[in-house]
Amino acid sequence: MTRRQLLAATAPAVAAVPLAKLALDKPAQAATPHVHYPGMAMDAPTHAAMHGDEVPAPGGPKALDALLHPPPALPHKPGRVREYDVTAVDREIEVAKGVFFNAWAYNGTVPGPVIRATEDDLLRVKFTNGGSHPHTIHFHGIHPTGMDGVFEIVDPGGSFTYEFPARPYGMHLYHCHSTPLKKHIAKGLYGAFIIDPAEPRPPAQELVMVLNGFDTDGDGENNFYGVNGPAFYYAKYPIRVRRSQTVRIYLANLTEFDLINSLHLHGDFFRYYPTGSSDHFEYTDTVMLCQGQRGIIEIDFAHTGRFMFHAHQSEFTELGWMGFFEVVD
Amino acid sequence: MDSTAQELPRGWRLWALLPLLLLVGAVAVFAASGTTLLDLVGRAPPPADQFDIRRVEFKPGEIRIRVTNPQRQELTIATVTVDDAIVPYTVDGPATLGRLHSSTIVVPFQWVEDDPYTVGVTSSSGIQTTFDVAAAVEARGASPRGFLGYALIGLLVGVVPVALGLGWLPSLRGSGPGWVAGFMALTAGLLSFLAVDALTEALDLQAGLPSGFQGPGLILLGVAASYLGLTFVAQRFSAAAGRERSAPLGGVALATLVAIGIGLHNLGEGLAIGSSIALGELALGTFLIVGFMVHNVTEGLGIAAPIADGARASLGRLAVLALVAGAPAIVGAWIGGFITSDVLGVLFFALAVGAALQVVVEVGRYVARRAPGGLRSGPVIGGYLAGIVVMYVTGLLVA
Repeated sequence: MTRRQLLAATAPAVAAVPLAKLALDKPAQAATPHVHYPGMAMDAPTHAAMHGDEVPAPGGPKALDALLHPPPALPHKPGRVREYDVTAVDREIEVAKGVFFNAWAYNGTVPGPVIRATEDDLLRVKFTNGGSHPHTIHFHGIHPTGMDGVFEIVDPGGSFTYEFPARPYGMHLYHCHSTPLKKHIAKGLYGAFIIDPAEPRPPAQELVMVLNGFDTDGDGENNFYGVNGPAFYYAKYPIRVRRSQTVRIYLANLTEFDLINSLHLHGDFFRYYPTGSSDHFEYTDTVMLCQGQRGIIEIDFAHTGRFMFHAHQSEFTELGWMGFFEVVD
Repeated sequence: MDSTAQELPRGWRLWALLPLLLLVGAVAVFAASGTTLLDLVGRAPPPADQFDIRRVEFKPGEIRIRVTNPQRQELTIATVTVDDAIVPYTVDGPATLGRLHSSTIVVPFQWVEDDPYTVGVTSSSGIQTTFDVAAAVEARGASPRGFLGYALIGLLVGVVPVALGLGWLPSLRGSGPGWVAGFMALTAGLLSFLAVDALTEALDLQAGLPSGFQGPGLILLGVAASYLGLTFVAQRFSAAAGRERSAPLGGVALATLVAIGIGLHNLGEGLAIGSSIALGELALGTFLIVGFMVHNVTEGLGIAAPIADGARASLGRLAVLALVAGAPAIVGAWIGGFITSDVLGVLFFALAVGAALQVVVEVGRYVARRAPGGLRSGPVIGGYLAGIVVMYVTGLLVA
């Protein structure tokens, strides 16, 4: 043992003396609780909060618009063909300010494009694998076994067309189902899939929010969390909505590794329709979702101003899953 | 002029450049085709992209994180976390670090005293390096108060015990030649203990350095430099005394060498104490200071032993010897408290190893010539072992 180690070993013994004294003093201290924060000097800089220009987020103010705003709902017309082209590619994306991740991405974005159809449309999704590993698309919903994205593995350079009637109505999702499943989802192969009911929903300001995370150092834990991709994006670029009209959020959780994720809204309550496939709703300000769980949120904002929304797992919040609504008249 | 000189080609200094020029040529050819050559045998793995977090300091309202890039490729600081929360930060220096370059990350943060913290630094490639702090304790910066504090600690654990140990000089003078030889051997024993102690410190410290610093090589350099440096000094002392160069030193000259060896050890010890205090790793109590004083008082004895056998030394000279042996503890405490460089620590401890070993050799030569019965006599063997035992037992006081 070196003398330095001996020093370190002594420390607890030396510390034991004041500790013992502290234990004896405890009753007196309990009467007047006092916590000392060394950093709380008046002139000390404050613990910076994540809002305004302080927020580190990649991309410009409109970078995520295609993922946030879904294509419009079309009126009910049974048998109408809705075609989408989806290509899986290997691509480096910026998942947090200055942090780059080698993602696998449908059409180059994580999450992939919003796929939308009306109930009884014939959905035709032409999938091309432009990546370096075998991929598929597995849609949630009702479809034949051959269209499930489990057995029809598409090798690099190959393609496959998924074709089935869109049903049931609700908020769904799609993701790659190649093995290892965890890797293919963690790498970014997922997206939102909306099926509108035959009887249209009332007009609203519609938004899509896919909750996700990124494990950038491959240790099986997410380093960053976000909505529709990068960390802190909507904290830097708040989502502008009008108070006069309902805000409808199509919400899905595709976070890998963590058992649950959640959404909590500040300053208001909302109606939450689980899976969006019935009229049943819960009136709340917090919803919890496991991976693959999704639903529709409808907010009628009572006040204008800036309202935070975030995961009610504080850790996720502080690793990027946090944003603001800018509610205006 | 002898015949061998004529056989050398003319302009041999210029010819000495030839291998270097050929090397430059070979390097150029390889650089031009190197990548394709390496492709024949495989693909290089990606860089680890891990930072080396050298020091985490807690100041009022902020956390300061010192990071070094230990790898060949550049490394960029992209995200900083405290307890798994991304925090705003500024970098006191470049955010992109070249090989072995360092920067300090400053995080405004209201930390809680004595709480554990985990800080993380994530590279632009998403690789996170974390560093655990067992308990947050405020780091004192360079202030006149701190300067004085470290000086006092160095004085107490360095200069004072050595000076007190020199107080044994009168009684040593009164003892017989066998006793003096025994105490000289004791000096060699305690210096051997210090050499092993310093070598272990140096090896431990270098293990934490990025491999680019080549810790073992640094230790060898330090040991060789101090050993040979002191050998050179010893020769000069002999020459100054008008003796033949190989004659063993004695008296004040030998005591000076012992003082230098002990001084270099105390430099490393002061550095270790200073940095431990600065990083909040050490609860410095009265007990520990007393322990160091008792431990180091034997060092004074080591300096006194050679003087006892030689000419009288003035009080002023003794004071100088006490300063040479003890004052480096003050300097070490300052360096450790305000700078903390593990590279410097390794180097200092390595210097101490070489110096202690050289002095052991010098004392051995002296004892071999002067002791009744030479190196194999009972007092010498007993004294040497006693020196080790004394250091070991008093070492328990700082355990």
